[in-house]
Amino acid sequence: MFERHLYHHIDWLLLGAILTLCCLGVAMIYSVTGAVHGSGSHLYLRQIYAILLGLGALVLCLSIDYRTLADKSHLIYIGILALLLYVLLFGALAGGSRRWIPLHVYNLQPSEFAKIAVALVLAKFFGDNRQGAPTPLELGLAGALTIVPMALIAKEPDLGTAVTLIPIYVAVAYLAGMRMKMLGVLALLLILSAPLAWKYGLKDYQKSRITTFLNPSEDARGAGYQQIQARITVGSGGLAGKGFGKGMQGQLSFLPVAHNDFIFSVLAEEQGFIGVLATLGLYLFVILRALEAARLSNDRLGSYLVLGVLAGFTFQVIYNVTMSAGLAPVKGLTLPLMSYGGSSIIATLAGFGLVLNVRMRRFTN
Amino acid sequence: MVAEDRRKIALRLAVLRYLLVAVFIVLAIGFWVLQIVDHATYEEMAQNNHQRTLALRAPRGLIFDRDNRVLVENRNSYDISLVREHTRNLGRTIRQLAHVLGLDEHTVREIVDRHLDQPSYEPIVIVQDATLAQVAAVMARRLDTELPDVVVEKVPTRQYPSDSLAAHLFGYVGEVSDRQVAADGLQSGDIVGESGVEKIYNGLLMGEDGARRVLVNSMGREMRTLEEVPPVEGRRIKLTIDEDVQRAVEEAFHGLGFAGAAVLLNPNNGAVLALTSLPEYNPNEFATGIDRAQWASLVDNHERPLEDRAIQGRYPPGSVFKIVLATAALQDGIVTPDFKVHCTGGAMFYGRYYHCWKHGGHGTLDMEQALQQSCDVYFYTLGNMLGIQRIHNWAERLGLGEKTGIDLPDEIRGIAPSPAWKLRTTGQKWYPGETISVSIGQGQVAVTPIELAVMISTIANGGTRVTPHLLKAVNDGHGWKPVPPPPPKAVLHLKPETIATLHKALWMVVNQPGGTGIGAQIAGFGVAGKTGTAQVISLQGAREAAGKTSRDLKDHGWFVFFAPVDHPQIAGVVFAEHAGTHGAALAIAKFALETYLAEQQGKPLPVWPAPPKPAVALATTTTTAAGHGR
Repeated sequence: MFERHLYHHIDWLLLGAILTLCCLGVAMIYSVTGAVHGSGSHLYLRQIYAILLGLGALVLCLSIDYRTLADKSHLIYIGILALLLYVLLFGALAGGSRRWIPLHVYNLQPSEFAKIAVALVLAKFFGDNRQGAPTPLELGLAGALTIVPMALIAKEPDLGTAVTLIPIYVAVAYLAGMRMKMLGVLALLLILSAPLAWKYGLKDYQKSRITTFLNPSEDARGAGYQQIQARITVGSGGLAGKGFGKGMQGQLSFLPVAHNDFIFSVLAEEQGFIGVLATLGLYLFVILRALEAARLSNDRLGSYLVLGVLAGFTFQVIYNVTMSAGLAPVKGLTLPLMSYGGSSIIATLAGFGLVLNVRMRRFTN
Repeated sequence: MVAEDRRKIALRLAVLRYLLVAVFIVLAIGFWVLQIVDHATYEEMAQNNHQRTLALRAPRGLIFDRDNRVLVENRNSYDISLVREHTRNLGRTIRQLAHVLGLDEHTVREIVDRHLDQPSYEPIVIVQDATLAQVAAVMARRLDTELPDVVVEKVPTRQYPSDSLAAHLFGYVGEVSDRQVAADGLQSGDIVGESGVEKIYNGLLMGEDGARRVLVNSMGREMRTLEEVPPVEGRRIKLTIDEDVQRAVEEAFHGLGFAGAAVLLNPNNGAVLALTSLPEYNPNEFATGIDRAQWASLVDNHERPLEDRAIQGRYPPGSVFKIVLATAALQDGIVTPDFKVHCTGGAMFYGRYYHCWKHGGHGTLDMEQALQQSCDVYFYTLGNMLGIQRIHNWAERLGLGEKTGIDLPDEIRGIAPSPAWKLRTTGQKWYPGETISVSIGQGQVAVTPIELAVMISTIANGGTRVTPHLLKAVNDGHGWKPVPPPPPKAVLHLKPETIATLHKALWMVVNQPGGTGIGAQIAGFGVAGKTGTAQVISLQGAREAAGKTSRDLKDHGWFVFFAPVDHPQIAGVVFAEHAGTHGAALAIAKFALETYLAEQQGKPLPVWPAPPKPAVALATTTTTAAGHGR
């Protein structure tokens, strides 16, 4: 399965950039959980374990030919759906939502893996299409394939992750040749359905998140608090930042969930604009490099697969970074590779395993 | 892959590539705006988040008497305040705080509402002078991170250890009003003097607050102190007051149970030894913020305890005014001291019969005797000869009808009437009959007790109209620096004969049988003075009402004095409101002078006799073992 000569075609640069981001994440978690000052928090250690596990998953995804995986994509897809159903019915209740299956060493969050499963299944679906642009029927079917897990995830409720599936669908459909007109129609559909979604789909707290975003100071002590604090955190970083472990906002708990959703804010505060530019640069490098892999792919399946994985990743990165600056409604979307979260790390690394897989096998058949 | 497919894909990928780069550039710009352009704003907000500046209140300067005895000092008290800026949920905090402090939630909310237009970073004091139990309760909650927006401040609070002693003299303190903040550059929450010495010398007594900058976390818990500027204590002041004499005067007033005022001073330079007004209040009640009910009861009290009668009470001087007449007549050469008048109990002037207080009259008197026995007819005659204008001029020269300039706020002036004055104030001309009334200190003439104190000092020292003052020395931390007394308001050139006559006559009032002031006689201490009984209603009416009317209609009693007559060291005035006669004033003055004398001679101070215990016939009510009670 794993031929020695393929070893040469692994994109080490991409892997290096990914690992750098992971390490940055660990450093930030270390800082903000007070371990710098001896708080004895082990969160950063758990993150390291998760990264190691994720690397294992990455190797696994690398070893099996992606075409083989794609052939089994429908099985994987159904498996994920089953897990999602299981979570809805029997998942651990935490903070009013069921998102995790507690396994004794660690909590499994199926929604993270759903992104890869959907990318795989869509890549396979469009990859099999031979002629020209996908027909509306095909687009509709693909949409249905996307909407089912979306609905299950949204019911948990985890609106943020659910919405992440949309870019995956759009990106793969786009690459598959969806006509511009169709894209316009799709966009229109989305916009029109927004008020309906607002009225019937969104829960109250989700609605308030949006209204608060538009005017955070109205509720400065409540829902707008996180946003204002995020802006303060980022803004006070200045050019060179406050220094490692010295970000007051993070250290003194002004920014809630700083090790998770707002990890980028902590980076902005401690490493300043320079740190921000460097990290954004790394993420952009990763994304563009992955895009290269899509371009170099041997077959359409590979391209679609890479783009599917990348779409979810990119959307989350952009949204989280924007949210970390207090410029987007708070959504509970973590920053892939950096935020604390076992399932997220493992799923993301596995996804990049697939990307490396495609690039690595571009000369094979 | 088919080449065409590859091309299409490559094209679409290229579009995505440029799109993504553009998005990241926009992101970078966004961060640039936040971190570079608006950095200062956010830095400040971050600082506000995690830094607090707590005021370290400065203690007010202490007030001492002339012998370095502490009259007014400070103690520590705790204020419990709410800081709105750090409050996440105001309603919840108010509820919790009310519960913890044992207060009604509505009350707490009211206090907060009253301060709504203050900046939100300023603490709103909910409880002043909190009990230790309350402080402990709040501090415990803060450790549990329940009340991050509540602060407990240690605040120096004014304390008047002798409660109401010299209350009007010291005045009271209170929180600065909004108007004062704007006008005098003070800060909201500052404690300033509102009346008395506390107000006049507020600039000296107020210290400078310090500050402590602390680092707090999002729970409001203090992590460490960043910077501390210690407060500067206010300057200490030493008054000319003699605590023993002050106490003696007030004790005498309390013993007799009258309202009134008294001022004792050194006639040679105007240094005030005692100044009192009764009824009084307890300034301690104001020190921690007087509550509305208490304040209302003080303001509405018909005995007006907040009024400083010594400098704000205006009363007819009665027979004490005769001194002015005598001075005027002698100085202007209208009569000589042996001018005689025959008093038969009254006389006719301008078609009206004016009574003398003595029913059958005094017989023939010269000036000294007339003063000694306070004959009204003699002075009706003198007044008629002088005319109101001369009387007015001399009254003014002797300090009546003008502010004395004592260093206390809100002094008012008396009235030394004149035709011009009457025309100006009522539009009517002066009738000669009014001069007759004025001659014995009734009618239109009115004085404040302190004006009389100045008048008698002028007579005592031979013609220098001294300025009464209270400040003796100031200590700004480098030792006591004496304050020079203010210059006299005027120097009258009184003829030596005038002075001799007046001194002799006034000495006779107290020391010669027949004098109206025998009650103030002290063996071996040549007290000189003049009594006065000022009518509230007419003499006729008083006689008819004697024993039947309420106190409010009874006459006032005056006594002005100085001693010893040859080289006066102390002078003063006692005013006993509605005391009926001048007897009370005499007793009070005597007791004060005895105290002064004993102090000078190093002897034990006199004690005011305790009121006799009511005779309780216990035997008639107890049941004996043998039989039943009677």
